[in-house]
Amino acid sequence: MRIRIIVFSFLLIAFGNVPALAHAMLQSATPLVGSTVASAPREVSLTFSQNLESAFSSVEVTDANGTRVDQGKPQISGNTMRVGLKSLPQGTYRVRWRVLSVDTHKTEGSFTFRVGP
Amino acid sequence: MLRYSSCSRAFAVALIFTALSAGEAFAHCFVGARFLPATLATDDPCVADELSLPTVGWSKTGDFPSATEWDISVDLAKRITEDFGVSIGTTWSHIRAPGGPTMAGFGNLETAFQYQLLKDPSHELALLLGLVVEWGGTGAVNSGLADPWSTLTPTFYFGKGFGDLPDSFGWLRAFAITGQIGYQFPTRSFDVVEGTPIPQVLVYGGSIQYSMPYLKSQVRDYQLPDFINHLIPIVEAQFSTPVANNFGNSALTTGTINPGVIWVGSYSQVGAEAVIPVNRASGTGVGFLGQLHLYLDDIFPTTIGRPLLGGSSAPQQRLNF
Repeated sequence: MRIRIIVFSFLLIAFGNVPALAHAMLQSATPLVGSTVASAPREVSLTFSQNLESAFSSVEVTDANGTRVDQGKPQISGNTMRVGLKSLPQGTYRVRWRVLSVDTHKTEGSFTFRVGP
Repeated sequence: MLRYSSCSRAFAVALIFTALSAGEAFAHCFVGARFLPATLATDDPCVADELSLPTVGWSKTGDFPSATEWDISVDLAKRITEDFGVSIGTTWSHIRAPGGPTMAGFGNLETAFQYQLLKDPSHELALLLGLVVEWGGTGAVNSGLADPWSTLTPTFYFGKGFGDLPDSFGWLRAFAITGQIGYQFPTRSFDVVEGTPIPQVLVYGGSIQYSMPYLKSQVRDYQLPDFINHLIPIVEAQFSTPVANNFGNSALTTGTINPGVIWVGSYSQVGAEAVIPVNRASGTGVGFLGQLHLYLDDIFPTTIGRPLLGGSSAPQQRLNF
């Protein structure tokens, strides 16, 4: 009896409510996080672990001087966010993102990639 | 003397938890791009909506001869506001000495009141202030598993990720540390049963951890297997040192060093650590600590995963750089 009450209490806590959602974590990126690519990419694509709220999610790409090199509005579809890039010379670039998952959890992060041999 | 059965404890935890069901949905221990997992032997430096159920420990005590001890704990943490939270927990212990009696029962109920002093996203720094209260007489006092007196432990917690190091530090940026230090006051100064003073104790500890999720998403994606990318190898350490009112007792520092690993998922984490006593008084041989930890703010983002007071479910402003 004691065990049953304890188990019931746990189930009440764990499964007694709404559908589950979570923080949107960066799952993959193109170009890859920390990678070196031989030819300049035309866009940056970020895929997250959860669907995003497009109105409250953004990304920017800057060069070594901090100058924005992204162009156009980020395109968000489901759990993927894309942004176009200007023509990039060789160098190191930083991608900064902030997103809001559909359950209102905020996450953010940044990484670099390099264009060059 | 106030006593609780295991059934009423379980119901109390469930009902308290269910009652605290309104407010806003945001993060567990995220500080900027850094996620600090719930540590097993010490505490992370954030208020949060979390449930550790269960934490299971096995060890051999420092007695002569050593007794075998099992501990099963539950701990529930709930935010009252965005920056203030409370937690409640208890431990059931089973101790069997060779050739001696077996003791089993609950320890005292323990609560913590915690305030988030600082979260600095750019430096991945979190500071937390807490008051831990162990409520005397709420456990199995007659079995010797709980004290009839209470203890108060003001505690300071911190966490720091090293993602703000220059990019040239590379993979080292995935390291983080956490720590805590507290001063434990008993509400009585003398144990009339044992005939000894009850010491005041400095309790302290911390962790060093390496985040594979951080390495993959912030530093370099080595395209390792997905399971590996969810791991946080960790070494925890916890100590206690009697520092006052200690006449007739040993002033020896006791503690353990716990190497292990935590697997981090979207809604929960699973951790396992070896428990290595630092001296004979701390235990005998290598023990074990395991924990299933649930992120309630992710499992129930619109209800019990929110703070009880303040804020709204909708973001206040558009995120812009």
